[in-house]
Amino acid sequence: MTITESLAILRAAQDLPNPFQIQLACSFTPLHLKTLLAAHQQQRMPQRRAIVVEGVFGDLIGSIASASNPAAIAVVIEWQDLDPRLRYREGAAWGRTLAADLIDTARMMLGRIEQAIGQLPPHVAVAVSLPTLPLVPIFHPSTWQAGQLELLLERELSDFASRVAGRKLLNVVNRRWLDEHSPASNRFDLKSDLLIGFPYTIAHADQLADVLALNLAPRQPLKGVITDLDNTFWNGLVGEIGTDAVRWDPASRYYLHGLYQKLLAALADEGILVGIASKNDPNVVGEALKRNDLLCAQEKIFPVEVHWSPKSESVGRILKAWNIGADAVAFIDDTPLELAEVAAAHPGITCLQFPVGDYQGVWNLLRNLRDLCGKPRLSEEDALRLESIRRGAEFQQQAESGAAQSDDFLKTIDAVLTFDFETAATSARTLELINKTNQFNLNGVRLTEADWQQKLVQPGAFVLGVKYEDKFGALGTIAAVQGRQNVNRLEISAWVMSCRAFSRRIEHQTLKRLFDRFGVDRIEFKFAPTAKNGPTQEFFGTMLGHLPDNDFGIDRAQFESVCPALYHRVEEISGVTLNG
Amino acid sequence: MDEIRTRLIKCFETVFPDLPAEQIPNASQSSVANWDSIAAITLINVIEEEFQITMDLEMAGELDSFPKILEYLKTTAVNA
Repeated sequence: MTITESLAILRAAQDLPNPFQIQLACSFTPLHLKTLLAAHQQQRMPQRRAIVVEGVFGDLIGSIASASNPAAIAVVIEWQDLDPRLRYREGAAWGRTLAADLIDTARMMLGRIEQAIGQLPPHVAVAVSLPTLPLVPIFHPSTWQAGQLELLLERELSDFASRVAGRKLLNVVNRRWLDEHSPASNRFDLKSDLLIGFPYTIAHADQLADVLALNLAPRQPLKGVITDLDNTFWNGLVGEIGTDAVRWDPASRYYLHGLYQKLLAALADEGILVGIASKNDPNVVGEALKRNDLLCAQEKIFPVEVHWSPKSESVGRILKAWNIGADAVAFIDDTPLELAEVAAAHPGITCLQFPVGDYQGVWNLLRNLRDLCGKPRLSEEDALRLESIRRGAEFQQQAESGAAQSDDFLKTIDAVLTFDFETAATSARTLELINKTNQFNLNGVRLTEADWQQKLVQPGAFVLGVKYEDKFGALGTIAAVQGRQNVNRLEISAWVMSCRAFSRRIEHQTLKRLFDRFGVDRIEFKFAPTAKNGPTQEFFGTMLGHLPDNDFGIDRAQFESVCPALYHRVEEISGVTLNG
Repeated sequence: MDEIRTRLIKCFETVFPDLPAEQIPNASQSSVANWDSIAAITLINVIEEEFQITMDLEMAGELDSFPKILEYLKTTAVNA
């Protein structure tokens, strides 16, 4: 991105609402880094205006400490922040005297930076960049040798980074990523540093701004990967050469498929759903998937769609089983025709070709998949997801085999709902649900941590998290409600429920619980129709007599007149049974 | 020559979006409130990108008006 392009992006966005403010903390003149960071952030959140403010001039720690409640803060550390003598503009002498206390000074300064970060409000997202520029040539070894002092400095940095990375909502820029995208020899601009105090070339500032924005507001990871089998999951056509002849083993030249399997297994462990769409004989494939040398075991994969119908139909069924949109999924196949057929039928899906026999191409594919599916942190729900989907499919099959949602069926599934009014507000899962859920979503409003915290400090504010399990298994936290009590009225500004939890009357039990717990006769909802929240509209439509198109209220009597029989056992987070 | 002028006006519009078009040809650091040291450096970079040239940062202080920059581009940079 050029400076001209970045200014054009910011100019076009200047009238957008709901500003997202980033504090840029650095000890050099922010200049183009400020402009480029704002522009890259703007590209990542086109609905809001990105604003970057600079802190105390020349004072990294002061800038962090004085941050006036931004949504996010970018902490850009350079060598001069470890010791001012490591700056070209600094007048202090180089030589042995500097070396004597360099490490102690660096350790102390990093400790102060860590302390300043530790005092930031917990809802502020933080991205930390470690020094990106070459060191000043102060050490006695030649520049191609890593001297002991330099290595000790690196160790201090590494220790610091590993400590601060434990903070919730803090991401550390991966220096190896930056090495790939911004060549070290083209980062430092001595003239600009000495004349105006800005040490970066524009090209380097652009890459650093890009990766800072990526770390401040990471994109949503894909939720699932659908893979072909022949010449993708394994080498060979299983229907022609047989179940024992397809290969992926490390001892063969087909290990590229083994590496692919290993990545799929790792993604499955992280809660990414993995499914199979293959044109094959299901009996043959069934035998092959029983092989005990698979590097991605069959139990990590669901569903398995194997038949001779178009793959777009398989993908459609898998998306239905997963209950997620095509834009949250990657489809991997070795055949361009199959990729094109799926892409045409499922707009938004990410189609990637498996490059058979191409070592560099497979390496790129593995890294691309990792980037598409990468998550800063894993949650309890990530471990539960596959089992939950599998159980959910069984639930749907049983529900659909008889009268869907029949009382007879719902009576028998031993459903338990746990309402958590205590810890849901601080759970990352609650905000994740609000920002990921589309179909049962009161208004589609997405919230940053800062927005979330502001809602929670309002008088009478509450957050409800809802967990569900039945005899088919636990779904984990599948719904969240945020609102506030205003005398004898309840105002709900966010209510979301995972589509995995549909058809269980959880929304009815939740509404009942809200009326009962708060002892109110009316609940007001901050509603807005979206392109995807049809199920929410239909749910409230049964009470209102029409589909809502704006804010509305529901009286207890209105709700009770349409509420079906509820068979859940209801608990609070303490485990106390309220009714059953 | 008119093309250089037109492209320089575009640079000024990029860096000073609030500056009325009719004021650009006579704009100077003393007449444009937003033309501070940061804007001066940004203007140099935008001109570099537009004309695919490298300008000397040390000239930022001297190139303090539209006519001076235009003259610089005509005589020194673009034709060099």
